[in-house]
Amino acid sequence: MSSIDAGESMAPSTPSFYAGGEGLMAWLTTRDHKRIGILYALTITVFFAMGGIAAAMIRLNLVEPAGLLDAETYNKAFTFHGVIMVWFFLIPSIPATLGNFLLPLMIGARDMAFPRLNLASWYLFVIGGLFTVSALLLGGVDTGWTFYTPFSTMFSNTHVILVVVGVFITGFATIFTGINFIVTTHTLRMPGMHWFRLPLFVWAMYTVSLVMVLATPVLAMTLSLIGLERIFGVGVFDPALGGDPLLFQHLFWFYSHPAVYIMILPAMGLVSEVIACFVRRRIFGYKFMTYSMVANAVIGFMVWGHHMFVSGMSVYASMVFSLLSFTVAVPSAIKVFNWTATLHKGDITFEAPMLYALGFVGLFMLGGLTGLMLAAPALDVPLTDTYFVIAHFHYVMVGGTVMAYLAGIHFWWPKITGRMYSEPLAKFSAILMFVGFNLTFFPQYILGYEGMPRRYHSYPPQFQVLNIFSSAGASILAVSYMLPVLYLLWSLRHGAAAGNNPWGARGLEWQTSSPPPEENFLHVPIVREAYAYDEPAP
Amino acid sequence: MNATVMDIEKHDGASRVEVQFNDPVQQREAATLGMWLFLSTEIMFFGVLFASYTICRVLYPEGFAEASRHTDMLFGTIETAVLLTSSSLVALALRSIKLDQRRAATWLLLGTAALGVTFLVMHGFEYYNEYTEHLIPGINFDQPGPHSRAIELFFCLYYFITGFHSVHVIIGVVLISTLAIRVAHGTFGPKNYTTLELTALYWHLVDIVWIFVYPIIYLVGRSG
Amino acid sequence: MSNPTSRPESETPEVAPVSRYLWVLAALLALLTLSAASALIRLGMLNTIVNMGVSVAKTLLVMAIFMHETKARRLTRMASALGFIWLALLVGLALTDFLTRVPVPSPW
Repeated sequence: MSSIDAGESMAPSTPSFYAGGEGLMAWLTTRDHKRIGILYALTITVFFAMGGIAAAMIRLNLVEPAGLLDAETYNKAFTFHGVIMVWFFLIPSIPATLGNFLLPLMIGARDMAFPRLNLASWYLFVIGGLFTVSALLLGGVDTGWTFYTPFSTMFSNTHVILVVVGVFITGFATIFTGINFIVTTHTLRMPGMHWFRLPLFVWAMYTVSLVMVLATPVLAMTLSLIGLERIFGVGVFDPALGGDPLLFQHLFWFYSHPAVYIMILPAMGLVSEVIACFVRRRIFGYKFMTYSMVANAVIGFMVWGHHMFVSGMSVYASMVFSLLSFTVAVPSAIKVFNWTATLHKGDITFEAPMLYALGFVGLFMLGGLTGLMLAAPALDVPLTDTYFVIAHFHYVMVGGTVMAYLAGIHFWWPKITGRMYSEPLAKFSAILMFVGFNLTFFPQYILGYEGMPRRYHSYPPQFQVLNIFSSAGASILAVSYMLPVLYLLWSLRHGAAAGNNPWGARGLEWQTSSPPPEENFLHVPIVREAYAYDEPAP
Repeated sequence: MNATVMDIEKHDGASRVEVQFNDPVQQREAATLGMWLFLSTEIMFFGVLFASYTICRVLYPEGFAEASRHTDMLFGTIETAVLLTSSSLVALALRSIKLDQRRAATWLLLGTAALGVTFLVMHGFEYYNEYTEHLIPGINFDQPGPHSRAIELFFCLYYFITGFHSVHVIIGVVLISTLAIRVAHGTFGPKNYTTLELTALYWHLVDIVWIFVYPIIYLVGRSG
Repeated sequence: MSNPTSRPESETPEVAPVSRYLWVLAALLALLTLSAASALIRLGMLNTIVNMGVSVAKTLLVMAIFMHETKARRLTRMASALGFIWLALLVGLALTDFLTRVPVPSPW
């Protein structure tokens, strides 16, 4: 009994979605979720390059204890790196690119619920980016991506308002994407696609959208308050009035902690798809994966105080936030167990997406464990504002999300472009990235433990050796990021043509052509259980 | 195979169904769900100001009570009544459209917009009076006394909250006025009223925000 | 692409009588009067409770009748509640800091 007439569904002469409109205007006025996903992918790659150059400046500066840059320039470099990487790369990365492209395909819909809102979201993203980059061109901002008051509101002489306006605008791009995903998932699932038959990637897009919708408005208002305080010289964060700088930190981290779950939840869903494919099995513990995603999203809103243990916050509040932070590690751990259990006695092959996915599991686990360490106030007091924290979040954001994003780009590249990339080069890049990443960031755990503070352009000479290791690793990492750009672009012209399902994967998106036609499917399939869209005809 | 928008526009004024939807009811329900999600984001957006207010008031209860006595309770109360009435008018306008009563709907929408403008004008008078009384932080604030800093904090919040709220009122007035014109031209009807419904929901949210702003700004410490 | 569960728009959507809207408006204005009047009486903590209660009541009336939440699907009702619940989370957890601060005197 077949759920899909795979043989009949795709006539070989079905035109792909690229054929529907050529030329720049067709792309800039598109309503097709697939094109919008690609527009986002191109834009975030540009931002990643900018953030990467800022990172190169940081690592170059740190080879020399006295610092090669002056303090002011260094402050601007790490601020720009943080702002661009967080808001203009990591947060949109998987949802706005792969999420946009795949969500309707995975639920059997023709497009998102609100295609014009989707395009508006991309335009807002670009406009916000232009504001932020203009701040850079006018001399940069030196407050750190966290904009702590009263420095950002009263004492910084840089273009804070331009940057907060840019991030404010981009925040609405995120909100619109989130609203679109939630309504699409509720409304446009094909017949038979009940909630517990959805792919885990869709669950991830849905839960991340809930976080986006509830957290981002708080950031928008908090940044507005910074701007208003700068303009009027007074405000609720002003200690001279009895206002509280900690109020800013509470409001900022109420958004920014869930923001890291915005970054990691899509990666978790994505990696579940890739691992299941290259182990030739269903993911272990599907329902627990879905529950743990929801748990991460919800509990993730209750832990923000762990960024404030040394701020002067009440010690009783610190205890509450610490306990909640321990709790939020449980759902993440459940996922790591499930991925591992999926691997057990599986028929594993090591294509490039799988290498990235396995790298994700290991590095995310290390990053997560160090997060647990930081969740204990007693440990956090000496470790906060040191390189230990930097290593922790780079392990989860770069070793985690960026690796997952690359896993996804490679996994779905054939579907999006209709081409296969060079597998040997891709494998080499993945392994090079793993080596380069660990060389860059593992020494930073040690540096932090030994007391090297973050956000300082200079440091005591005894830390130089580890800093040199770290900077050397960064140069390897940089190469490993540039290689995929090169071989992926090369594959567009010279790569082998990919069939509908080059990986033999079980998702619904693999039942349509590569690339898909504009309306995604020629007829509405029927699903009987999760990932069972490809049962062979009797 | 036609890959472009499926156009089922009939002569009886039904709304055009976009290709990703099965039918107009699904399209309208999706739009309504989307709007409610957007309203939840607005609650979180204003919520930051309410949270800041709550925390500051917990820290400075007497200062806030004293500050609230400097606001114009009569104006504030009338403004609240104005917005509540405007909410009822826009709800009645939506009802009229569903009954194909175009003229009634047009007048009700214009009434809603007019009340919105009334609200803004009254607010303008409030701001002007506060200017003459040296209550505007960062511009001419000067309130001697033991609670001076807390009063300034209160008025920072007052201007932030009412400022953002007024921007939303202006947007609402523009949207509703535009809708009134389109209703008069016959764009909407019993089978095509989603845009009206969404705009009405937005206006009700603007009203709900004010429902909470009113007591926390105008009614604190009024008994002296 | 035809769908067997396609639903056309109704020719005559359900509406409530005008009187219902007017009664709701009357109730809202009555609540407004109640909060304004009670604010002039010294009731201490009760003033705040009454005012907040009135605001909640007004909001529920607006949401239930004007915004049709009583007729809405469970899904839209959950979406409408979400913002309020999350705001309560922000205020509540932030207050665990501000309400439990113990001033630590400096040693000098």
